[in-house]
Amino acid sequence: MKRILSLVLVLALIATLGITSAFAADDGFVDGKFTETRHITVEIFNRNNDGGTDPTDNVWTTWIKEKMLEKYNVEVEFVSVGRWSEADDIPNLLATGEAPDVSYTYNIGAINTYAAMDGVIDLKDLLDEYKDYLGDLIALVLGEENLYYDQDPTTGAVYCIEGSKPNVARITTFIRADWLTKLNLAVPTTEEEFYNCLVAFRDNAETLLGADADKMIPYTTSTDIGWRNDLLSISYVADDISDETLFVYGYDDRHTTYPGYKEGIRVLNKWYNEGLVWKDFALYTDSTVEDDNMKAGYVGAFQHNWDYPYRNGDDCINANLARNVGPDAKFIAVDCFQNDAGITRKFLGSPVGSDRKIFLPATNDEPLASLLYVNFISSEEAYTFLQTGLEGVNYTMTDDGAYELLAATGEWVKNSGNNIDYTMTLNGILLGDATEMLSYPGIPADEVALAKEYGMNNGRFAKHYSVGTIEAENEVGSSLTTKRDELLTKAVTASVEDFDAVWDEHYADYMAIGGEAIVDERIEKLEAFYGIKYEK
Amino acid sequence: MHIKCNYHYEPFDILCFIAPITVFPEYPTERKMNLERAEKGPVNKALSAKSRMPWGIYMKRYGTLYLLLILPIVFFVLFRYTPMAYILLAFKKNNILKAPWLVDWAKNSGFEWFLKAFKDKTFIAALKNTIFLNLLDLVIGMPMPIIMALFLNELAYPKFKRVAQTILYLPHFLSWVIISSITLRLFATNDGLINKLLGTSIPFVGTEGNWRATYIFLGIWKECGWNTIIYLAALTGINPELYEAAEVDGATRLQKIWHVTLPGIRSTIIILLIMNLGHILGSEFDRPFTLSNPLVVGASKTISIFVYERGIKGTQFSLSTAVGLFQSVVCVIFLLASNALAKRFGERGVW
Repeated sequence: MKRILSLVLVLALIATLGITSAFAADDGFVDGKFTETRHITVEIFNRNNDGGTDPTDNVWTTWIKEKMLEKYNVEVEFVSVGRWSEADDIPNLLATGEAPDVSYTYNIGAINTYAAMDGVIDLKDLLDEYKDYLGDLIALVLGEENLYYDQDPTTGAVYCIEGSKPNVARITTFIRADWLTKLNLAVPTTEEEFYNCLVAFRDNAETLLGADADKMIPYTTSTDIGWRNDLLSISYVADDISDETLFVYGYDDRHTTYPGYKEGIRVLNKWYNEGLVWKDFALYTDSTVEDDNMKAGYVGAFQHNWDYPYRNGDDCINANLARNVGPDAKFIAVDCFQNDAGITRKFLGSPVGSDRKIFLPATNDEPLASLLYVNFISSEEAYTFLQTGLEGVNYTMTDDGAYELLAATGEWVKNSGNNIDYTMTLNGILLGDATEMLSYPGIPADEVALAKEYGMNNGRFAKHYSVGTIEAENEVGSSLTTKRDELLTKAVTASVEDFDAVWDEHYADYMAIGGEAIVDERIEKLEAFYGIKYEK
Repeated sequence: MHIKCNYHYEPFDILCFIAPITVFPEYPTERKMNLERAEKGPVNKALSAKSRMPWGIYMKRYGTLYLLLILPIVFFVLFRYTPMAYILLAFKKNNILKAPWLVDWAKNSGFEWFLKAFKDKTFIAALKNTIFLNLLDLVIGMPMPIIMALFLNELAYPKFKRVAQTILYLPHFLSWVIISSITLRLFATNDGLINKLLGTSIPFVGTEGNWRATYIFLGIWKECGWNTIIYLAALTGINPELYEAAEVDGATRLQKIWHVTLPGIRSTIIILLIMNLGHILGSEFDRPFTLSNPLVVGASKTISIFVYERGIKGTQFSLSTAVGLFQSVVCVIFLLASNALAKRFGERGVW
């Protein structure tokens, strides 16, 4: 027993000692290709979608493998990681030394934590040395400087490469077009008009829903109020808010700590108490019940991802509405929440820096081959094929040269929308606007275009300050998210008189369990690296 | 979502212990030895069962039993004791990539994470919630299976009893994920079936107080039937002559329950009480996590959820190991204390 135990311990020791990395130029890399075949492993999300294929072995991976072998003489092996459990799976894989050579995640705090454990390769020297071979990647992330987007200003280390998200539209407001027509209402263009529509929906429930009148939900939301009411909430943020303020209070993409935000939630609280908001929204932590309400036709309006009613082909909300209610029934995009300057402001994530991050674990013996893979998957050739597929099966060409995507079946099914999991540096279609508008089978292109336009209209990007890791953010993210949802949900469902008390109590808690520390560290770093003194 | 609660026994653990007993019914239990001794009359204290039997013969007779014990021992060493080396993580810098003995000690002579946890408002709230929910479970939830076992024991028709038992066991096999979604359909404030039937809008899961009640109720509904098994087993061990004697003395049904049945299962109740007290800081994950919603986080966030948020999602492995260690130490203290207390009151205790 003792002998076995000591053997196990010694093996573990050897395995951990093996995790070292030092930069040295690769001799086997001649004229952009390896002389001997190299082997790398690549992470791929497994979404277990209906009708999907094995994400590690299908027509898409076969194509990628062939191309990589031919182009760089690199053999690629895919390792699947659960899409919804990746945050749990990656640490396990890292701890056992089995993390894929090319890994990606949405959570930069996690990457920073692994880096602090010496678990991630510093890419700086590699990027400096080989950036001439990374032209496709550089083009996709819009410039060489974005390769160093997350560079630590003190040490110079680069632990991850940011992916790109060319379509920056986030959230759009949707309203039932057929209900507006039925009640002779104009398409709302201001908060007041929008509110009047909701009131009209509520008061005319019998006309609109008949026997189901008691199921009327004029406006629906989920417990993720920060996302689902963003446009209303941020319309109470002053238009002249400074870049520094956006940075200092910009930890959470739900914008909850922006000055003025509370007043937007107060409006929602008022709506809730007037019976305009789904009464039981706070109890449901997954989206199926809410989606079913939308699909059954009980919902009048909502805010969500800019393409929400159009997603999922034949099972999308508008397709369901047409089936369940009638051919006229559909959600259309509206844009009606003006700020103090009278414009419908949207705070957007920048095209680079707000999506997935790619990192190479320290167990990676082929950092160069891995980088070349990242470059290849960013090339126009790769993403064009992966986003379109086979003509006649996945798409048809329109007369004006756009791809009209079809709902494919069998082996040509994409496991993720537009194969975004394979195009790890690219989240979203990059084949021209016309193609993007046609990528929602069954939905008129002009409706999609309108939703996208309203999702970006008057958009503002927060300025990127390169200050390295904010230590205070690394561990508390998940606790803060829970607290934020508690704060917003309780504030919205409070009585009008209690609103201030509830908000103040839980907001103070939010700041106390980590929010304040983040703000303070951001202020500190702003001064340290940019010499800007920020007053709270 | 595969978080193991600390005190959940895998079927395999139990199998390891049951298998030898069932395969070898002549297993020399203490009771049997006592009986043997009683049959043979008083024996010299120095002549214990073992010394009477030469080593070789003893091993020949019972050796197979020891052989069977190897499997459970290997299992425990490999999966229960070896991982304990990683308790060290609680005193080291946060690093899961190196073996814990290669990592530097944490600040404050290794106690950084413990200090951090106790300065953390979220942890203190989670600690309070855990204790409160477990206490409610103990006070309200523990007597239920006893009462139900007594009811089942009094049933006159064995067939009905068997059917009733099977139905009562069923909820135990449902996962909390399923129960939580059924709960919402039934108990939602406005759309829930019960509120629709009553024409009310009672927030069964919408305020912290009500949520606790619903939480306890669901726990009882799910596990009560299953937990009767052990009491029913104890009930069968009661000597029927006692009932006959009580009947002769003219005892009523209730008097029989009070003076024969309950004392008959008292030691079982005490043992389970001790075990439950040992879990006072233990924390289930599925139950509070799936039943929770943002309105009741203040009541539902327990230590297990804190560990999930900070440790797994927040990659703070040292902090969560420290919290886990703290939980275990407190549980062991409670276990020892309650066992000692039981012994003081003349009970046998767990050991």
